[in-house]
Amino acid sequence: MDLPRYFVDNWPTLGPQVVTHVEIVAMSMAAAAVIGLFLGVVAARSERFSSLILSVTSIILTVPSFALFGLLSIWVGLGNPPVVIGLVLYALLPVVRNTSTGIRAVDPAVTEAARGMGMNPSQLLRRVELPLAARVILGGIRQATVMVVAIATVGATVGVDDLGQPILEALGRSGGTLVQVLAGVLPVAMIGLVADGVLAVAQRALSRGARREAAG
Amino acid sequence: MITFDRVSKRYGRITAVGELSLNVASGEIVVLAGPSGCGKTTSLTMINRLVEPTSGTISIDGRDTAGMDVDALRRSIGYVIQQVGLFPHQTVAENIATVPRLVGWSRPRIAARVEELLELVGLPAAGYARRLPAELSGGERQRVGVARALGADPDILLMDEPFGAIDPIVRVRLQNELLRLQRVLHKTIVFVTHDIDEAVRIGDRVALLSQGGVLEQYARPVELLAHPASPFVAEFLGEGRMVRRLALLRVRDARLAQHNGSGLPTASVSADASLRDALDAVLRADGGRVTVRDAGAVLGVIDSDAIREASR
Ligand SMILES: Nc1ncnc2c1ncn2[C@@H]1O[C@H](COP(=O)(O)OP(=O)(O)OP(=O)(O)O)[C@@H](O)[C@H]1O
Ligand SMILES: [Mg+2]
Repeated sequence: MDLPRYFVDNWPTLGPQVVTHVEIVAMSMAAAAVIGLFLGVVAARSERFSSLILSVTSIILTVPSFALFGLLSIWVGLGNPPVVIGLVLYALLPVVRNTSTGIRAVDPAVTEAARGMGMNPSQLLRRVELPLAARVILGGIRQATVMVVAIATVGATVGVDDLGQPILEALGRSGGTLVQVLAGVLPVAMIGLVADGVLAVAQRALSRGARREAAG
Repeated sequence: MITFDRVSKRYGRITAVGELSLNVASGEIVVLAGPSGCGKTTSLTMINRLVEPTSGTISIDGRDTAGMDVDALRRSIGYVIQQVGLFPHQTVAENIATVPRLVGWSRPRIAARVEELLELVGLPAAGYARRLPAELSGGERQRVGVARALGADPDILLMDEPFGAIDPIVRVRLQNELLRLQRVLHKTIVFVTHDIDEAVRIGDRVALLSQGGVLEQYARPVELLAHPASPFVAEFLGEGRMVRRLALLRVRDARLAQHNGSGLPTASVSADASLRDALDAVLRADGGRVTVRDAGAVLGVIDSDAIREASR
């Protein structure tokens, strides 16, 4: 069976799987961005917290994804919840690391000038540090997104009906074909590339936009 | 008026500033000078509380700064740091608008203020307002830094080696510009430098500090150069004090020899020239005497004796 034909024939199942996949990635990345940004800001302020959070998030990345999803499903049940939580955990390292690095890379003369002119810590963060770190932070989010798009396929092992499903089925059955595997893998690669491209554009636009925004 | 009353700053066992007492009169430029590490920056930044004193009080117009809201205090004091620290993601106009925005000025008022300040520091708004810091020369950046510090029209300006990283020729120009601005603005300025020539050129008074933030002498530049209070001060002032001091004195303040109309020396100097320029003219003149003119009118004649007498 050829691949285009397979896609057309199986679109009723593949279509929703694509949607579920994108939803899971979007949800996980939205949460990871918010949590990671917060942790990254704290890490930028405290050397001790920084080394702690970076080791913890690095260790998380060494846990195999099917094991992590499996473990989490013991607590939160099967389906989307363990996968979203697991993906958030995986996505944290790049986001936290880049946020903290981006903020620390701001020229100390710039932050001293800002403080000296009477910006309070939150104004300093919003008007100076985050806009200047925006490019680097989005770089981390971009990296995490691409990674999460791929890892989300493993969610099929705990019952998520995303693009991991066709792959899992093909591998699990003796009659599984290469076409079936590709039917899962190719859309995943497409989603990864599109997400990367969109975020790359956003990265440029946002660092410009942040500049304008600061103009107020 | 800014008053330091026995102000100390200690870091563990290191004393950065020790028991500093000092008055900075309103409308004057006071220069904190001294060798590297003597506590100039620490003393300066204790005024806007970027550094908090370990003991002692700093008050502004009689009010203890320790009791003030720290952000409000800082917004009321202009601050120029050595590395300038312009916001690289903001245009020149946005940079200058920083404090006016923080204190909530209206947009039209901010726009007008930005234009006024750019004009004041000699950067026409039309050409500069929308540029980014990266698109400016070092000297231009420095001027924007000064304009930004003047943003919300503070009474007090703190300047930490503002011209330190600028080449000597541009530096002298910026110093003269600052003096020109000060004649218009009458701010209370505390200016830090380790360059004694800059200190005596700019300062109404110079506070000379030695290691550990010890005040060695606090005096007007002419006084400092003529009567150093200690060997440390004399050494810091360096060679040729009396000659350099001549640069600070005006010809019109010297006792000029009266003239009888005939036999006036052909060489002449302006009454507003410095005695240093007069000495130069005297040394070049054939008879060792030059005519002093004030807008065309002859005030008298000056020679080396008169210069020597005026310099003492
Ligand atoms: N945060 C700090 N922790 C410990 N010591 C400090 C700190 N800040 C300053 N010092 C010390 O206090 C002393 C005075 O420092 P300060 O920065 O005021 O010197 P300065 O006169 O401005 O020198 P320079 O001309 O080099 O800028 C120095 O010995 C410095 O090492
Ligand atoms: Mg210093």
